[in-house]
Amino acid sequence: MLNIALPKGRLGDKVYELFASIGYDCSEIYSDNRKLVFENKENGVRYLLVKPSDVAIYIAHGAADIGVVGKDILEEGDFDIYELLDLGLGKCNMCVAAPNDYVEDFDRPLRVATKFVNIAKNYYISINREIEIIKLNGSIEIAPLLGLTDVIVDIVESGKTLKENNLRVYEQIMPISARLIANKSSYKFKGEDIDRLMEKLTKELAK
Amino acid sequence: MEEFLATMSKEDSLTYELSRLYKQWGYKEYRMAKFEEYSFYSDNRDFLSSKGILAFNNSDGRLMALKPDITLSIVKNAKLSDSLTKLYYNESVFRMSDSSLDYKEIKQTGVEVLGNIDEYLIAEVLGLAAKSLRKIDKDFVLSVSHMAFIPSLLSELEISENTKKDIIRCVKGKNIHDLRSICEKNGVAADKTELLSKLAGINGKINTVIPELCALACNNEMKTACSELEFIASSLSKSPLADRLFIDLSVLNNTEYYNGIIFQGYVEKAPSAVLSGGRYDKLAGKLRENTQAIGFAVYLDNLNLYYKKKREFDSDILIIFDTQSRSESLLSLVESFVDKGFSVRVEHSIPEGYKAKTVYSYENGALREVTAC
Repeated sequence: MLNIALPKGRLGDKVYELFASIGYDCSEIYSDNRKLVFENKENGVRYLLVKPSDVAIYIAHGAADIGVVGKDILEEGDFDIYELLDLGLGKCNMCVAAPNDYVEDFDRPLRVATKFVNIAKNYYISINREIEIIKLNGSIEIAPLLGLTDVIVDIVESGKTLKENNLRVYEQIMPISARLIANKSSYKFKGEDIDRLMEKLTKELAK
Repeated sequence: MEEFLATMSKEDSLTYELSRLYKQWGYKEYRMAKFEEYSFYSDNRDFLSSKGILAFNNSDGRLMALKPDITLSIVKNAKLSDSLTKLYYNESVFRMSDSSLDYKEIKQTGVEVLGNIDEYLIAEVLGLAAKSLRKIDKDFVLSVSHMAFIPSLLSELEISENTKKDIIRCVKGKNIHDLRSICEKNGVAADKTELLSKLAGINGKINTVIPELCALACNNEMKTACSELEFIASSLSKSPLADRLFIDLSVLNNTEYYNGIIFQGYVEKAPSAVLSGGRYDKLAGKLRENTQAIGFAVYLDNLNLYYKKKREFDSDILIIFDTQSRSESLLSLVESFVDKGFSVRVEHSIPEGYKAKTVYSYENGALREVTAC
């Protein structure tokens, strides 16, 4: 039995459809209830629906064998897991965004608002820029508008939210997409099952 | 003895069983103090798997550390014999815990061999590592790697140290897709990228995968490593353990300390490696001139969590006696049960939640069986 952790929400729905299309379906998942665990013994799968930011935690602790998670979560955390496949779903970019009229002042540390503290820190270390980070948990776009920070580091999908808040992409840090991850121990003992699933996924994604 | 071991926690029974195993193979127990000078560990900080060192000042003002690692201390302090020094240990290390975000005492057991390391010794230590894992769980995997492959290939590439670190991170995570894009971005030749990807992806039983691996060997270091791996595979080929040994080059350690064979052990119920080891001539040579070394550690912490023993009874027998009555013969009665191998607890009343196979009440110099609790 493969325990698969999926992120609740839009990405999770897309990933489930992908898995179902290659023979790992579990129709119960469509039932309108509050269950978080769905099992299909015939297909040998058990799906766990968890908060997107928790998928990698479940995998790292062996509560699930494999899972799907955004690259942003993997880069922000430090998880001892295998990252087996780029599913190419949920594509977006991790960016530095700033007000449309922003001009960088190199005489002082840059003030950065973000919920991705480690990604921001690592990025600015890589370009040797001194920063002050203000960690926010949501509505990050407001921070530079209120003068709280100079820039933000956040995920940009279409750029619509930035535009509506008079912000623009200032620098691009990394592309983000959904990744198939596995617990290291699970891969040692269920490697054949995981490889079979990966092979089918790769074929399906190439179509 | 086996019955007694069955009543112990996984951690305690393993400590005993592994000590017995290592003694049978001629290893001597090594005991050490709980702390050592802080500077020794801070000088070798990169070797430590956890960055935090628990430090304190001793009575003469010297900064000391509670041992965060055993190998370093053994290599520095063990009395070396003219031939080989074969040691095992059961010790605690003090490290920052990921889960509690604070320092934690972690029980570790392991073996270290110092001296002139040859192919036989590598096979012996790998065999012992596999046997140690089998003591934890018959369902185990020992992932074997060799520093001569990916690190030696990386050393041939003209890329920055940061890029090498990024590639190593990808290899460790079996992340071939990002590995390819990092190589492409940094101008690594297509044939080298292909070779790196193939090496990182190699994963199979030691007996079957070596030909595939050796076909990829492209420099002398890799070819020497292949002959070492072939010797190990052939030495262990008749052992039932051989089926549990896998070549997995995604296992990588710090190149400043390790060289040669490295390995990690997994058991089915634990989510991460429970055994880690390898050949560390570079560290040994740094601390003791002309010394080579190989060893491994078994992480006993958390095994009690993954291998819970269902507690059926607190003791075989519970005897309740009335303090008002005289009880001269009670002690000899208890002794007779203990001599027969039973565990016995004597109480004034039945403790809350206590479970015993048989409960007696002691009245007027005799035992009377009452309803079990």
